[in-house]
Amino acid sequence: MSATTAAAGAPAMGGARAKEQAKGGIAPAIEALKGKIDSTVAAQLEACIHCGQCAEACHFYLTSGDPRLTPRHKLVPLETVYRRHMAPFSGLARMFALAPADLTRADLEAWAELLYDSCTLCGRCTVVCPMGIDIASLVRLSRAALVAADLVPESMQAAADRAVAQGSPLITEEVMRRVCAAQEKETGIRVPIDKQGAEYMVALSAMEYLNFYEVIGALARIFKAAGIDWTIASKGFEATNIGYQMGSDAIARTLVSRIVDAAHDLGVKYVVSPECGHAYTALNWEGPNMVGRPFDFEVVHILELLDRLVREGRIRLAPDETRRVTYHDPCQISRRGGVIEEPRHLLRALGANFVEMKRHGVANICCGGGGGVSAVTRAEERRIAAFACKKAQIDELGGIEGLVTACANCRNVLEEAIDAWDMELPVLGLTELVAEHLVDEAPAEEAGAPAGAA
Amino acid sequence: METPFWLWLIEGPFWLIAATIFVLGVGWRLVSLLALGRRRDLSVPRGSAAGGALRAILLHFIPHGGFFSSTTFHVLTGYLFHLALFALLLFAAPHVTFLEKNVLGFAWPAMPRWAFIVTAELAFAGLILLWARRISDPVQRQITDGGDHAQLWLTFAVMLTGCLALEEASLALRGLHMVMVELWLIYFPFSRLMHAFTWALSRGAMGATFGRRGVMP
Amino acid sequence: MDKHRRWLPSLAALGISARAGLAAMALLLASPLVGPSLGPGAWLGKALGPGGAAWAQVAAPGNRLGTAPPPARLWRDIRRGRAGAPSGTAIGTGVLVQSEGQRWRELHNRRVRPYGGWALLGSLGAVALFFALRGRVRLDGPRTGRRMARFTQAERVVHWYVAGLFVLLAVSGLTLMFGRGLLLPVMGKSAYGALASAMLQGHNLFGPLFIAGILVMAALFLKDNLPQKGDLLWIAKGGPWMRSHAPSWKYNIAEKAWYWLAVVAGLVLSASGLVMEFPWVFRDISWIQLANLSHGIAALAIMAVALGHIYLGTIGVEGALEGMTTGSVEEAWAFQHHEMWARETAAGSAGARGGTEAESEGARPGAARAGHAAAE
Repeated sequence: MSATTAAAGAPAMGGARAKEQAKGGIAPAIEALKGKIDSTVAAQLEACIHCGQCAEACHFYLTSGDPRLTPRHKLVPLETVYRRHMAPFSGLARMFALAPADLTRADLEAWAELLYDSCTLCGRCTVVCPMGIDIASLVRLSRAALVAADLVPESMQAAADRAVAQGSPLITEEVMRRVCAAQEKETGIRVPIDKQGAEYMVALSAMEYLNFYEVIGALARIFKAAGIDWTIASKGFEATNIGYQMGSDAIARTLVSRIVDAAHDLGVKYVVSPECGHAYTALNWEGPNMVGRPFDFEVVHILELLDRLVREGRIRLAPDETRRVTYHDPCQISRRGGVIEEPRHLLRALGANFVEMKRHGVANICCGGGGGVSAVTRAEERRIAAFACKKAQIDELGGIEGLVTACANCRNVLEEAIDAWDMELPVLGLTELVAEHLVDEAPAEEAGAPAGAA
Repeated sequence: METPFWLWLIEGPFWLIAATIFVLGVGWRLVSLLALGRRRDLSVPRGSAAGGALRAILLHFIPHGGFFSSTTFHVLTGYLFHLALFALLLFAAPHVTFLEKNVLGFAWPAMPRWAFIVTAELAFAGLILLWARRISDPVQRQITDGGDHAQLWLTFAVMLTGCLALEEASLALRGLHMVMVELWLIYFPFSRLMHAFTWALSRGAMGATFGRRGVMP
Repeated sequence: MDKHRRWLPSLAALGISARAGLAAMALLLASPLVGPSLGPGAWLGKALGPGGAAWAQVAAPGNRLGTAPPPARLWRDIRRGRAGAPSGTAIGTGVLVQSEGQRWRELHNRRVRPYGGWALLGSLGAVALFFALRGRVRLDGPRTGRRMARFTQAERVVHWYVAGLFVLLAVSGLTLMFGRGLLLPVMGKSAYGALASAMLQGHNLFGPLFIAGILVMAALFLKDNLPQKGDLLWIAKGGPWMRSHAPSWKYNIAEKAWYWLAVVAGLVLSASGLVMEFPWVFRDISWIQLANLSHGIAALAIMAVALGHIYLGTIGVEGALEGMTTGSVEEAWAFQHHEMWARETAAGSAGARGGTEAESEGARPGAARAGHAAAE
């Protein structure tokens, strides 16, 4: 009904629209956004009173002072479509020429920079929003319009194409096998691939296979110590989901289905979500909705699993870490994923001199490269500049000897930024840290050992 | 004193029309908004959606996450204006009388005149400060549209005409205030003034999502 | 329809016009606690010179009730302000007629009101003339695209808060001051009565908010409005005409004068306004009369100059308004109008010390020279 009214109410748009249709058309983008608007989106768009407090939470705004980077402003295309086509009384508004002008391709071209380069979907703005608007989710939904209009940044589109074609945005199955074999050699512990009937299936992020492959050896050691039967699936070895980040439902579904199918085929009980922020959201919280059915396995985050193993005494940690460390919360794992206390339990169990940044947990500040921003080459300068917020937090603490995190993307982005800002600060993966402090004796003998964990 | 015809018109039929548009408009807007529906979330919850919704609704009344230092102005002026406005709306003597006579049929204690004046001062201070920031903060200027100004000025007009009629001696001023109130009521369902209702939906929806995840941003 | 006809006279019967327009006159019925010679009434008397006693010679008024007029001697005593023993009064004691009120009225109606009115019109005329002769002061060169922070968010909010209240108070105040002469004949008594009542309520309501604003504003803007070395150079270079690029600090001497006028007049307005808003605190009616006169004078002065301020801040000077709406100004504007401040700011933000580095001079050749000389 709204489509016919739109056509009738927009005779003046005819010329412009015809031109746009020839250029690839805005209609698919508008339809994509319309398809995203449900009662939650509508309520949140309606509730916004344009107070601008969200800017105070955004590392891109804070480090640039550019009001265009106000989180709320990033939602204009979505809001335009909502108010013109979907909102109650929108037909009336169009009739009296009170509805906003329809979305144009020029709008989308202008907003590509705001939606892809300038939002890490970190969701910090929700914390400050008096209306509790989940702006990050709305930004992600808005990206669907840019997908439909073919305005995805080149580097991101290329990564997505590789992910679809070869199973991972950065590596191939062969590389994965080689890396696993190397870690097997390194640790002397088997890294099982495609083991039918294993209890746990581990999917890792491309960045881990490529850059932080020691985590594979670390997992092998931990799982051996805990007596866990695990495997990596050749059909679902990649945990990241660039389709989810770029806003393409089709690609997101394709990628998550690989894990779901592999887990189903191998008959595992658990799928372990790795040290990767959005992989956890995409698999655990959005995965079932993407494939349209509940999973026949349980998703467990690696931090949850490690914490559980320590608490249950299945692994023992030597509390002999002496460095003064702080923990960088990966946004999708803590603020948007709910895994906040587990890494802190682990750090304390390691005996580390662990100090909290002033804003941590739910209020943490993003590394600057989440939400696919690290896959947008042209955003590099902006992402490095945004690190100033994180740097201020770290500097405030003083004397930090290690920045622990639990997301390979955060880790990579932080390392690059630390380098660019001429700082000296090692970035440590928590899983590897846990493995380093593993007490290799059989755990059953002394169940009460990890008292420090509580 | 007998009510003149024009005042009868304003306080009678026009009031009824405005109130009807307000009630039906708000109702229709909320119903059609909710009718857009929300797909069932198939993920395995870690916590309660309903509990999360309630928590978010309450939690977002006050600044959290350490943001108060950077949003002090917004929080203080926002509360200043809204609390004073609600106090005026509900406890100004003429309002109590009007609601008793025209809407509810029962009354409650109204505030004394001095309290009314102090409250009105606070409400105006809040509204003017909110306006001053809206026109002078680059961030707010970026995201402000005509609707923001329209509702601000309309609300100001309602408050102003109300206070101009403070002496309660002129039927013309009383009528002017009523006309502004009626315009405000008619504009309400079509505007962002709807935030008076949608705030709970917005916070609740967010809270439900994250309540399931066992976290509350 | 019957209803419709009946309300008109009833509205007039409310006597609002008398209450609002003559609010101050009504207070004359109240008497001072102390004699007029101790209060500002003495000043009022002197201001008009001798002759006050002549009023006491007028004949006793007639009597509507048709009874005999009061004896001439009694009337004379009353007229001279002698206190009696009334059965009950809200304010003051038994003085029935305070003759200084006549003097206040004379000053208010014959001096403050007409001169103030002409001052306002004159200010409007001056602004128009300036616009006609000088035109809009445009930016000399192209915009650089670089911004210079000029007003903080707090300064902007306080400015617009005070400005908004100033306009509301000015409109309501002018209506009260000139309405009886200008609007009443046009609108008629009942309509003007309602308007005046409304304006009085509004004026009294917004007054206290303005007081809070002007105090904060005075404190917030004080630092850069203190006299600085080089202030006079701006005048010497023909500042107001702004053709010779007269250099100045953050505020030129005219802007500083505006600050001080606004603060002083604002404080006078605040104090006198409070006296009139809470008359029972100052039981001597002559305090209220003095407050009323100084309120009018200060208000008209501040309004007359405000017209110039508003003109220069909006259409008069290209690029000026941005400072107050966004907090920052175009760098070219800063160097054109406030060169010494701009140089200082640029040097500060470049992290340079001393403010005379070749870097800032090199970046803006020419513009820097005059300011540098002025700063020495």
